[in-house]
Amino acid sequence: MKRRDFLKILGVGGVGTGLGYFFGKASKPPAAELIPYLIPPVDVIPGVANWYPSLCTQCSAGCGIHVRVMEGRAKKIEGNPLHPINKGKLCARGQASLQVLYNPDRIKKPLKRRGDRGKGDFEEITWEEGLSLLSKNLTALSEKGETEKLYFVSSQTRGSLNSIINNFMASYGSPNYMQYELIQNKNLLFANHVSMGLNNIPHYDIANTKYLLSFGADFGTTWLSPVNYSFAYGQMRQGEDGIRGKFVQIEPRLSLTGANADEWVPAKPGTEGVLALAIAYAIVEDGYYKGSDAASWKALLSEYSPKDAAVVTEIAEGRIREIAKEFGQTRPSLAIGGENLARYENGMSGIVAVNILNHLAGNIGIRGGVIPNSNGSRTIDFKNNINALATAASASKVKTLLVYNTNPVFTTPKAMKTEESLRNIPFIASFSSFMDETTAMADLILPAHTSLEDWGDDFADPSVGHPVVTIMQPAVSPFFNTVGIGDIILSLAKGIGGKVKDKMQWNDFSDYLKDAWKANYSKDKDMLASALTFDEFWNQLLARGGWWPADQAKVKSVAVSPKGIEAHIAKASSRFEGDEKGFPLYLTTYAHSSYLDGRGANLPWLQEIPDPMTSVVWGNWIELNPKTASNMGIKEGDTVSVESPFGKINAHVYLYPGIRPDTVSMPIGQGHSTYGRYAKGRGSNPIDILPFKEDPNTGELALNVTRVKISRVISSEKMVKIEGSTKELGRNIVQTISPDEFNKMNKEVS
Amino acid sequence: MAGFLERITERWKVYREPGFFKKLDHKWTMVIDLDKCNGCGACVLACYAENNLPVVGKDECAMSRAFSWLRIERYIDGEYPDVKVKFIPVMCQHCSKAPCETGCPVYATYHNQDGLNVQVYNRCVGTFTCATYCPYDVRRFNWRSYKFEQPLDHQLNPDVTVREMGVMEKCTFCIQRIRAAKDKAKDEGRTVQDGEVLPACVQSCPTGAMIFGDLLDPNSKAAKLAKSPRRYRLLEELNADPSVIYLKRVMKEGPSKHG
Amino acid sequence: MKYFIAYVSVAVITFALGYKAYGLYFSDLSPVQPIPFSHKIHAGTNKIPCMYCHIYAEKSRHAGVPNVKRCMGCHSIIKTDSPLIQKLASYWEKKEPIPWVKVYNLPDHVYFPHKRHVKAGVPCQRCHGDVANMDRITREVVPFGLPYGMVSPLKMGWCIECHNNEAQKYIGTPVKNGTDCWTCHK
Repeated sequence: MKRRDFLKILGVGGVGTGLGYFFGKASKPPAAELIPYLIPPVDVIPGVANWYPSLCTQCSAGCGIHVRVMEGRAKKIEGNPLHPINKGKLCARGQASLQVLYNPDRIKKPLKRRGDRGKGDFEEITWEEGLSLLSKNLTALSEKGETEKLYFVSSQTRGSLNSIINNFMASYGSPNYMQYELIQNKNLLFANHVSMGLNNIPHYDIANTKYLLSFGADFGTTWLSPVNYSFAYGQMRQGEDGIRGKFVQIEPRLSLTGANADEWVPAKPGTEGVLALAIAYAIVEDGYYKGSDAASWKALLSEYSPKDAAVVTEIAEGRIREIAKEFGQTRPSLAIGGENLARYENGMSGIVAVNILNHLAGNIGIRGGVIPNSNGSRTIDFKNNINALATAASASKVKTLLVYNTNPVFTTPKAMKTEESLRNIPFIASFSSFMDETTAMADLILPAHTSLEDWGDDFADPSVGHPVVTIMQPAVSPFFNTVGIGDIILSLAKGIGGKVKDKMQWNDFSDYLKDAWKANYSKDKDMLASALTFDEFWNQLLARGGWWPADQAKVKSVAVSPKGIEAHIAKASSRFEGDEKGFPLYLTTYAHSSYLDGRGANLPWLQEIPDPMTSVVWGNWIELNPKTASNMGIKEGDTVSVESPFGKINAHVYLYPGIRPDTVSMPIGQGHSTYGRYAKGRGSNPIDILPFKEDPNTGELALNVTRVKISRVISSEKMVKIEGSTKELGRNIVQTISPDEFNKMNKEVS
Repeated sequence: MAGFLERITERWKVYREPGFFKKLDHKWTMVIDLDKCNGCGACVLACYAENNLPVVGKDECAMSRAFSWLRIERYIDGEYPDVKVKFIPVMCQHCSKAPCETGCPVYATYHNQDGLNVQVYNRCVGTFTCATYCPYDVRRFNWRSYKFEQPLDHQLNPDVTVREMGVMEKCTFCIQRIRAAKDKAKDEGRTVQDGEVLPACVQSCPTGAMIFGDLLDPNSKAAKLAKSPRRYRLLEELNADPSVIYLKRVMKEGPSKHG
Repeated sequence: MKYFIAYVSVAVITFALGYKAYGLYFSDLSPVQPIPFSHKIHAGTNKIPCMYCHIYAEKSRHAGVPNVKRCMGCHSIIKTDSPLIQKLASYWEKKEPIPWVKVYNLPDHVYFPHKRHVKAGVPCQRCHGDVANMDRITREVVPFGLPYGMVSPLKMGWCIECHNNEAQKYIGTPVKNGTDCWTCHK
């Protein structure tokens, strides 16, 4: 062999080896890496889950949660089994809050507006830049002596977050901190204040009642404290005492909760308050009221005889008297007034009427009735509402606006012109983690932590007859470059300097929270008794997830006197905008079980799980009685334009026999123009076509307040629903037995 | 080749005979009180979160490819104003004589010694036979490898695998939780106690309508409730012997009273 | 083209050798680690027990790789002048974890708890081989530089074999439900 050939073979061999090596490399998956901890966290075992107790912030109920965390990532959220509000259970919205934390559409860094306002053109900045930008703005404002022109609007806050914001605003010198979200139950609070003297929401003891009369309360999905009431509902139906409570629902559109009722009373929209008073009249007249002042009650209610009310409400007189009899005689009974009732134009007086019913039947202050909550009375500034902000902004009285966790542009009617008035404000800073409609208007976005990354506490309202406080602690470390809302406020105070800084000397919000709890601990004798030192108490608090007494507090009785109440009794049924000819159908709206006021629409799980009543996914719809639809030649799935005197939107038709033929109903929550890839451009927002009507006493926006007309339009978009048929087709899938049979069965068993 | 197939079929035949497991370790059962269920849908979401179910989007939903292992069926009887609405959560019924098991050509679905009807993902070849045989329509097929958008994938439960295209799947009664409970019990040298295993849906149910337990343990809550005079099973006439027991809804017969 | 056959055969043989060499010395069967950590020195010569470093093996599914602090616990004193230890120290100073390469990698659909096996008394060496004599961890048995066989193939038959037969050595009976699919799959 020549030297030349040898070298050739050697070359071929080399190339072959190389090719073989790279072929081997390419054909095998890359080896996985095994990254160790630098320093192992004390409480983490990889592969074993840790459960951190915390607080759910998806609605204002204040449920306690357990977050399952593995290797620093939140995996699942479940109810805290020790927590008295939700007893280990959790609704769909609460469980979906994981997707708030890991949402791909979260704002990951502070942003500064670059283009025109509202165009969504932002540039990324650092936290130092962002905070100094805002604190300079606030310093300039205070140097000009215009501190009262700083406005702060947030969702309902309770506990330490509320106090730190109030502290900040007070030390800065602005009285304009307002809490706004669509569902604030202000009418309920006000009505309970004037009729029962309560400063918070009482505990409606659904679990132990034997006759539940609900005026449009969708307590199974959205009303006040849905998980607590759902649990109570289960107990009422199949409780330990074996007597099944009866449940009657009064509303024009059968809600999910109403669908479970034994009887549905479809009163004419807006007349439920009158119906309540007519029932009250019948209770007094037929002698079910045992009080000595029966005569004065009769006089007070004289305008509301069942006979007259039957004409207004379209519910037969006999039926009204029958309800009165059952409600007055069954012990204990309970009447509740929900959002459907509270959101009429005179909704507040509707709730007053419900309170009167409870008083006349003797349900206030008893087990199975209305149990006042002794703790946490809150002072609500009914005047300081969102309209006050819009008015001030239009009058150029707002120089800087801070927004946290609320979305007034989406949740107020177009007729209120919130967006236009916000344009009048020179500087808006938002602390939202998501690009919602209001945040899109901001000049500066400082994204705050989500609730799974932050500290906080919450004094539940409504509570369950005794105080319940829940602690929110970070279950995971911050996932993006965000800062807790309390820490943002403290940094702002430092940036502004002067007396604001002097009054806010905490290092961070967790210190503030701990200090607040030190004060609570030193004042409360139960808390003092529970632990020797504060540190021990604090550790217990974090381990349990909050503070609540072991035993149920005593029930307090509260009298409702007819004197204070007169001014707030409904004089007539609620008004609807639009004349009957041009706009033949009443429009009622309701908070959707998944999206609530629209905040849940950006979570893919909530979009994907079918709506329980219609099985519609990824969109919204308008509910129409099949009779009305066939008269108009409309089929299910058709797109219609829904027109009120104040605007027009498109929606898909869902045919639903559980709605009055003269009424249409639409869920709130879809129709976002921004708010991330899952929410944007999906369905329509019924709030857009509402007139601006607020309750003069409470400032609560009325949502069931206009008539509409609908007409078919052509649209390429389709409504997607999961169900095939609403009928069992003789297969006997959901088997039933009658209440009589059930009672007989119960006797046999016991 | 033919001989090999025959041998295999012979060997596997025994698994298909009812009562192959002469003595079950457990007989996991779910009791659902339809009088308590209010149809809120918390269980559906719990299932999505626990079992890494993909979100398929509107277009796929329109093709009936929504992935929920557990669904709430809602039936509306009557016309306005005599409307009656009934809810029923339906998931895999874990039939003791499961029709799906007889159909699978690759034995990817079988009955195990806990009385569960289980699906082996890595054995499944996606013939869709089981789904066609299932009278309850609870099996879901991975029509594609669904993506979990970043960073939503951080939420995925490490105890449950992420399935890929071409695989049939269904409710497992949260078998990973059963396994975890058994594991814990073994560490502590005891057997699994009543109430220790809670599938995600049962755990979350706000009304407490769902009860889970071992039917072989006569003291378990589920075994007691299973004897209720209200008990019935879904489509019992098919004789599939389901493990899910429903308690009848208490509801007035005939038209309801109204105004 | 007198040597055509020679060329081809040399190319094929070397290709195969290169391919095998990748698998043997560079792939996940015996991957090159960022720091050439020697189990022979630690577990062999110095007889450090496995669970001194793999601290989670008794408590969790994962055995766990030692955290950097644990390495530094000894190596802030021992052999600090060695360049490799200085490399380790540089990770520690930079506060960066060491990107070790995984050797035993199970697919996602397998549920393998270390805890159950350790508690049943299965020695680590049963599946991981004679680690105490390996400089670099390998899954392949290489007696004289020639591949001989797999320490553990990680195939299902291999698992089941042990569950049915060898388990009797450790717990006296075959594993209960040891061949049920959902015992090991998830």
